[in-house]
Amino acid sequence: MKIIERKMNKVYTYIKLVLCSAFLVAASCETNELDLTEDPNFLTPSQASPDFFLNSIQEDFARHLEGDATGDPQDNFQTGGNVNGDGLSILGQELTRLMPFGSRDYQGGYQDIDTDDEWDNAYRGILFDIRNMAPLAQEAGLTRHLGIAQFVEAYVIVSMVDFYGDIPYTEAARAPEILNPILDSGASVYDAALTLLDAAIVNFTNNTSANPSTDFFYNNDYSKWVKATNTLKLKIYLQRRLVDSGAATSFNAIVASGNYIQDTADDLDWTWTATSASQPDTRHPRYGLNYASAGAGDYISNWMANQMQVGDDPRIRYYYYRQVTEAPGQEAAPDEELLTCSLQTPPPHYVSGGFTFCALPNGYWGRDHGDDEGGPPDGLLKTAHGVYPTGGRFDDDSFEAIAQNANVNSFGAGGFGITPILDAFMVDFWIAEMAMASGNLAGAASALESAMNKQIAKVQSFAVNDTGGDLSFEPTTTDVTNFVNDVVANFNAAASDAKWDILGEQHFVGHYGNGIETYNFYRRTGFPTTLQPNREPSPGAFIRSMYYPNQAVTSNPNITQKADQTTQVFWDTNPAGSFPVAN
Amino acid sequence: MKVKKLFGAIVTMLCLAATTYAQEKTITGTVTDQTGVPLPGVNIVVEGTSNGTQTDFDGNYAINASSGQTLLFTYIGQKAERRLIEATSTINLQMQEDAQALEEVIVTALGIKREKQALGYAVAEVGSEELEERAEGDIGRILTGKASGVNITQQSGLSGSGTNIVIRGFNSFSQSNQPLFIVDGVPFNADTNASGRQGSRQDFINGNNGSSRFLDLDPNSIESVNVLKGLAASTLYGSLGRNGVILITTKAGAGGAGTKKTEISVTSSFFFNEIASTPDYQNQYGNGFDQAFGWFFSNWGPSFDRGGVSGWGNSTSFDDAGTLPHPYSTASFSAAFPEFQGARYNWQPYDNFGNFFRTGTVTNTSINVAGASEDGKVSYNANYGYLKDIGFTPGNSLNRNNFGIGGRAQLSNKFTMSGALNYARTKFISPPVALSQGNGATGGGSSVFGDLFFTPRSVDVAGLPFQNPLDGSSVYYRQNNSIQHPLWTINNSGTQQETNRVFGNMGLQYDISDNLNLIYRLGIDNYSENNLNYQNRGGVNSNSNDIRVQSGIYETWNNTNTIWDHNIAINGDYDITEKVGTTFNLGFNGRREVFAQSGVSSDGQQVFGVLQHFNFLNQNEIQGSFQRNVIGLYGQIEFDYDNIFFLTLAGRNDWVSNLAKDNRALFYPSASLSFVPTTAFEDLKGDALGYLKFRAGYGTSAGFPDQNSDSYPVANRLSLDTQDFQDNTGTNIVSNSTGLTLGNPNLKPEQVSEIEIGLESRWWDNRISLDISLFQRTTTDLIVTQPLDPSSGFFRTNTNVGEIRGEGIELDLGLNLIRSESDGFNWNTNINFTANETEVTDLGNDTDLIVYSGFGNLGNAAIQGEPLGVIYGSRVARDGSGNLVVNAAGDYVQDSQDGIIGDPNPDFVTNMINSFSYKNFSLGFQMNYTHGGDIYSSTISTLLGRGLITETLDRENTFILPGVQQSDGRVNDVQINNSDYFFSNVLFGPSELQVYDASVIRLQEVSVAYSLPKKFLDKTPFGSLSFTVSGQNLWYDAINTPDGANFDPNVSGTGVGNGFGFDFLNGPSSKRYGLSVKATF
Repeated sequence: MKIIERKMNKVYTYIKLVLCSAFLVAASCETNELDLTEDPNFLTPSQASPDFFLNSIQEDFARHLEGDATGDPQDNFQTGGNVNGDGLSILGQELTRLMPFGSRDYQGGYQDIDTDDEWDNAYRGILFDIRNMAPLAQEAGLTRHLGIAQFVEAYVIVSMVDFYGDIPYTEAARAPEILNPILDSGASVYDAALTLLDAAIVNFTNNTSANPSTDFFYNNDYSKWVKATNTLKLKIYLQRRLVDSGAATSFNAIVASGNYIQDTADDLDWTWTATSASQPDTRHPRYGLNYASAGAGDYISNWMANQMQVGDDPRIRYYYYRQVTEAPGQEAAPDEELLTCSLQTPPPHYVSGGFTFCALPNGYWGRDHGDDEGGPPDGLLKTAHGVYPTGGRFDDDSFEAIAQNANVNSFGAGGFGITPILDAFMVDFWIAEMAMASGNLAGAASALESAMNKQIAKVQSFAVNDTGGDLSFEPTTTDVTNFVNDVVANFNAAASDAKWDILGEQHFVGHYGNGIETYNFYRRTGFPTTLQPNREPSPGAFIRSMYYPNQAVTSNPNITQKADQTTQVFWDTNPAGSFPVAN
Repeated sequence: MKVKKLFGAIVTMLCLAATTYAQEKTITGTVTDQTGVPLPGVNIVVEGTSNGTQTDFDGNYAINASSGQTLLFTYIGQKAERRLIEATSTINLQMQEDAQALEEVIVTALGIKREKQALGYAVAEVGSEELEERAEGDIGRILTGKASGVNITQQSGLSGSGTNIVIRGFNSFSQSNQPLFIVDGVPFNADTNASGRQGSRQDFINGNNGSSRFLDLDPNSIESVNVLKGLAASTLYGSLGRNGVILITTKAGAGGAGTKKTEISVTSSFFFNEIASTPDYQNQYGNGFDQAFGWFFSNWGPSFDRGGVSGWGNSTSFDDAGTLPHPYSTASFSAAFPEFQGARYNWQPYDNFGNFFRTGTVTNTSINVAGASEDGKVSYNANYGYLKDIGFTPGNSLNRNNFGIGGRAQLSNKFTMSGALNYARTKFISPPVALSQGNGATGGGSSVFGDLFFTPRSVDVAGLPFQNPLDGSSVYYRQNNSIQHPLWTINNSGTQQETNRVFGNMGLQYDISDNLNLIYRLGIDNYSENNLNYQNRGGVNSNSNDIRVQSGIYETWNNTNTIWDHNIAINGDYDITEKVGTTFNLGFNGRREVFAQSGVSSDGQQVFGVLQHFNFLNQNEIQGSFQRNVIGLYGQIEFDYDNIFFLTLAGRNDWVSNLAKDNRALFYPSASLSFVPTTAFEDLKGDALGYLKFRAGYGTSAGFPDQNSDSYPVANRLSLDTQDFQDNTGTNIVSNSTGLTLGNPNLKPEQVSEIEIGLESRWWDNRISLDISLFQRTTTDLIVTQPLDPSSGFFRTNTNVGEIRGEGIELDLGLNLIRSESDGFNWNTNINFTANETEVTDLGNDTDLIVYSGFGNLGNAAIQGEPLGVIYGSRVARDGSGNLVVNAAGDYVQDSQDGIIGDPNPDFVTNMINSFSYKNFSLGFQMNYTHGGDIYSSTISTLLGRGLITETLDRENTFILPGVQQSDGRVNDVQINNSDYFFSNVLFGPSELQVYDASVIRLQEVSVAYSLPKKFLDKTPFGSLSFTVSGQNLWYDAINTPDGANFDPNVSGTGVGNGFGFDFLNGPSSKRYGLSVKATF
């Protein structure tokens, strides 16, 4: 018994030893490690690459205009609101009848929260990445990287001023030193943009250690980048022509130099390559949202479709694809199920103004400005986006449902489209506006003609992207010439304000796909006055700038919300209240 | 070996004693409890001497004493008894339970057993009889209403969906508020990993079905649950205990109680599981708008009567027989459904909702074996549990297998070994339940309920084929096929979580002396959760037109979570003087948490129906990991003075691994005092007052950053995306971008402190007991995920700001109204009452508002001066005098600024638990009542806005919204029709209009039990046999919501987390009823 006991004592001693040492090992190694502050699920900032940064900056630049909210894992999903795949260009298009606006009052038409994502993309997605890339690029002598970044920054801050007015700039993107940037005046931000562009031109022309690995726009052709930079300067001078007495001189000097985007081949556009539908989705954002098996979600703008149809505009088959030959209440019988307003009488102010109501003949099925109805089952019936600029279907009178798996043609160009940013035709419109403002009517007419010709040619070049389309429905050269000649003749024949209206109408139609330009034009000139007004007879004063985003207002004590939507940006010296008239 | 020695010594001693003192004699006997079961370990001393012994495991004892001396019998929980020794040498004794339960021992922090009267804080206890044989397999849901101060919400009525537990209200809005689970003394991961995979913000949008991992516990294997509510109670657990602690002792872990013989108990149950919240649908009107027919989502169409203003006879859509063209008779369906070309469809109401659901069944078997060695020094327990819970929703089920074994061995050389090991295998299957607001699913998912609830009365869900026979895609009644058929969803889409889990512990105790021991305990909790989320191609999400949903999705990933927990403590127990005693505990605790997720997400299904990654075009990685270590040193010392005063002082210092070195440590103390006047002043004690105790406690704790806020709040990140875009050749372009979050090296732990006072009392011979607790809790230096103005360069940062303050009252009233001896009629009632409120008292200077759950424009917000969690969302515009503003069309105008639209915090919650027993019958029921608190309900607004329930029968007249006209401020006089009223305002108007009061009264549980009398069982192998018929959630009424909606506010639309007060069509609730049998051998 004693022997056993001794043995057992030994065993217990052994167990004790093992347990104690096991405990010490366990407790002293992994469990006691207290420096676990780095996140293994991300890179650290020191691992950044200037090329990768520039890729992100370029793509976010495109999403600054449109498509910021789709498929982005970091997007801040919101219920309701106007946030589905938008961007400044979409907001601008909705405000200028290029796309329908779905609210009966302007004050609440956009909420402060609707532009949280645009603001985040501009500052965090673009400016802050530029700030973080710059020292790396400078150190490595990557001047082209810097030049492209300066160009993008200039465009972004200018357009932010255009939509918000005063914005954070000098103190922006300087975290962690500054977390609550103050607002800078819009005018000073414009000046800063011009300075950036001068620096960009230097960086496009000096020696560089290497080109960027990916230049989405010009494939590392820096003479084109210089043209684009001068073109952006033109845009800036034009936009502040009401407040800058030297604007015309500066504008004309660049035009005289000829070193700007004159040829459509030099256009600065973002191309949606449509090489993949997911992971990543590279289709045009509007295409992705609309060319789905349940059909279109977006409506087209009745004002614009009517403008084009009435004027025999040769672009109508490129812009819009009709799924049916007739809309309810037009050739077809009214249908409460599919189009409630087909049974309704137009509001008095539509009747008195002679505006179209509800839908249009020949199957053009869209929505009026301010129509806030819910969505009936019309996705495979209403008019969809066409081949330009969305990469949808060319309208060849096939009248088929879009995006049906059984019909390979129903996918059109598969989302291979563009977001137009700075184009040769745009410059011609600017030249026309400058000429009008200075009383040079002949100059305006020739610029208008040039703008239309360039833009229509650009649009027509997209038809081939819809490989299944019957291109015999394309307008002939004569059709186009006749159209342009008619417009120019009308323009020449018109009185002053009517000239502005014609210029404005063509400006709007030509800029389909870029609402930044049209929204600015509308607030600079107040034209066209012929736009279809809101369905609501008293929708309140027009939106002269956007509310500051909710997140900025609630997080940054240096930004207080505007009283309402009527605050004008610095270059908008037009009357308050009922300006522009066509609301 | 030692036992034998001891035995020998005793025998020798007895013999010696017998021969030396002839006048003494040996007294023998058996001690039993009041039910006649032998009591082992009863202390017996001869009064006035040091002569004493204990009963053995058969309750037998033998002691030498002389006539005239008195034997004193004492045993914990029993009344002390004295017996004078007279002529007889046999004294058998039946002890009586000490009804005052003064010396009731309960398990407190770290498994330390203490007398209840010594505690300076509230501890709620729930025994196995309140947990066993329940229709729910989820321990969280069973605990609903059983303890005051504990608020439990289910995600939905789906079997296996998550469960939210919050004790004493929220004390943080960025850190987890879920309590710490301790099973058999070691931490147990009770997290919820949602089945949605799009990051924590998106989880609840794209499907929030994930089970809460306490689901892996079999309630039938639980011996007891103690809830430590206050901070003074949980200081020793440190930061992990700040939300309260649910202390669970499993039957396996409880091994060691020293059962005499092996006992086997078997519980077997069978329940039916049915939908409890079927709306009261109207059957007068069908699909359409404005009394005109159309294949809409909505039900504002013509009447099912031919005549009348709304009769179908007015419409050209119908033929003379009142039939419509079959919805599949259109040209686009001609190839797929030739049989329906030219077919007609009857215009009639269908029970489409009721027919969709089924009656589920719950089968539950649990076997428990417990036993001990002859000498009681080795004991063991083994259990097996099986649960099969088939939900009332097709495609939903829960399957669980549990094994557990545990035991304790008291070794001869001062060592005691104990251990328990449990294995759980849980499989949860569910159709997808993405967020819905009444028109299908939102985001990138599908929702079976989102597509079902709005179904018009005239559409026969079950009668319409759901699958296109040509390509397998979903087909449904709407003409552009923009609704995914709910039956297609059931048959082609789903989520699964299959979890294998092992948890257990091993402990070794060494008794250094009678007063001092050393305990080491190792705990391990490891689970591997295999997730699957899939949908065949051909689905529809017309809200997002998500290409992945259309193309088919297949995602598989595994979550592995491991907790290692080491605990070493030295425990002492000394009497300083005769009246002052002290106990102390000093310990070290090391805890390591490791979480790893990895898998593959695919889309672009090639061959319909084949669910393997190879059959999908695109693959993307799913990967994430997290680790954190927390080290703690703790100590606790307790003094007691003559069982009158008890003072406990405790403190713990924690170090955490995910904060910067200077900020990673925090010390937090606690103190509590208990005073028992009825012991101090004997006169106080009388017929009326039997027991009175006052207590007061002060406790503190800390919150360290966790997965709930940000696992690595100090880190600055750079995100890399290898699939950001493609060039025109299809080559991926890689990008990197600065992260969303600004790392904050200055981040500190948040601090919580709490003052709690209370009293416990027993009256009239325990007929009435009343416990009251009052607490006030303050959280400072809140770790806040503070939104930054993105113009700074970052989206958010983690910072310490502000203060929230909560206070509350908890009341427990016990009434033993009728009490009779043995098996007469007994009635007792327990009522508990909880009211608490939490207010945001400071948010720092930089922030007005933090929406911390839900969406930025519809979520729970922290706003200074407001209750924590107010619902923030879009409002109806008001004019200067506060009138609602209406536009020219007659609809409400939305304010351009969002604001507070509701407060989801209830005013109070009260529960009543009743039990009656008579002879072998017992009847019990539990009622719950929640007063106040708002809920944003998509279920109610959808049922109203789509014209489905009885409230919408009044639809032929016009409506005028109360308010003023926007243009001229006149009192609104614009008439609108039914659909504009219900559809455009009630359902799709500003979010304010979808908020309802969530007060609800509920019959939570009912049970009738019969146990067979012992005499029937004498000749059977059964020790006991009982039958119970019971039901759960058999009736409820959300009193301030539209009756026709029959809405159950017990739903958590934002999933398990800090969000509350939202319902996004997350699913109906369930009611269960059935029979269970329990037998022991």
